[in-house]
Amino acid sequence: MRGMPKAMKPVIVIILAVAVAAGAAVYMSRQPEQPAETNAAPLKADIKGGGHFRGPENAQLTLVEFGDYQCPSCAAYHPFVKEILNRYPKQLRLEFHHFPLISIHPNSFAASKAVEAAGEQGHYWEMHDAVFEYQTQWADKPDPKPIFAAIANRIGINGTILVQTMESDAIRQRILQDVERGDKAKIQAVPTFFINGQEVHIKLGMEDFVQVIEANLHK
Amino acid sequence: MKFRPIVIAVLAFIGMVDALFLSIKRNAGPIPCHVTHGCTDVLTSKYSEVAGIPLSWFGLAFYVTVLSLAVFAIFEEPVRPSGFPVRAIFYLSGIGLIVSALLVGIQAFILKAFCEYCLLSAALVFSIFLLSPHPVQRTVPD
Repeated sequence: MRGMPKAMKPVIVIILAVAVAAGAAVYMSRQPEQPAETNAAPLKADIKGGGHFRGPENAQLTLVEFGDYQCPSCAAYHPFVKEILNRYPKQLRLEFHHFPLISIHPNSFAASKAVEAAGEQGHYWEMHDAVFEYQTQWADKPDPKPIFAAIANRIGINGTILVQTMESDAIRQRILQDVERGDKAKIQAVPTFFINGQEVHIKLGMEDFVQVIEANLHK
Repeated sequence: MKFRPIVIAVLAFIGMVDALFLSIKRNAGPIPCHVTHGCTDVLTSKYSEVAGIPLSWFGLAFYVTVLSLAVFAIFEEPVRPSGFPVRAIFYLSGIGLIVSALLVGIQAFILKAFCEYCLLSAALVFSIFLLSPHPVQRTVPD
């Protein structure tokens, strides 16, 4: 660096620093992710009963999702879950379980109740999709019920009946049973996915979804 | 004499790694928290980008600029320094501090979830601001 013009020295140092930082960031991002307070071994869940199914009963694979309707990442994954079901209409089915994290998502339990109440009117999956799609409209509201009623009306369900049904104890118990299943499966975050009882880590985007499904189809 | 620019450069380097890491990990699945809870919630929320541009990219631009200014400050002529790099760091980190405070507020009161990588960035900006010499002191004639 001695024979170098003075002005060049800081430029070289800056370029080197940026290159080293980029290397460090890439290295860190490639480290295997270990969820906090758990070891790296994927969860194995013996999830029996409960849940709502979408897709053929005799599908080769069952994708189990533990989700929270107010969780932004669950909403981010939602279109990819729908798309993967469209791509594998015969081989794959979805089983959704409620896992509302009420300590950080105060409206998540009400959202689960609204979806279950829509299920009572025979429109569980329509409401499931709509609640995720319109998440930003109700997530921060002190009382989200009028919005759930409006969403229900929009998709052809009676909103007034939906709000009344939401308060049913049977619906509450159904959600709590799902939460209990999630606790037993030692779920730490949402969404958590399982395929045929084995936890799978799927990156956001179709590419990884397809890879995981293909790998499990050819097991 | 050069102690502050050197420490600022080191802090900006750490910030660069943090911002680059978040930029790479964005859309690559859940980002696990090790200290706090809710990294993925924060990083996939509607507040995680402005006009479609992830905030981590703005953070990266901020840290690269601060690092560059700090390195120029280190290499400045000791006899008659222009003082421009340190003044620029002071004003830039002041703006960064306001933005960081706003983002920590969003995590605390709106999202009710904290992302440790974002909190680290806020702490780095705060430290850089404290270390950046006040421009009034630097312009006092000898």
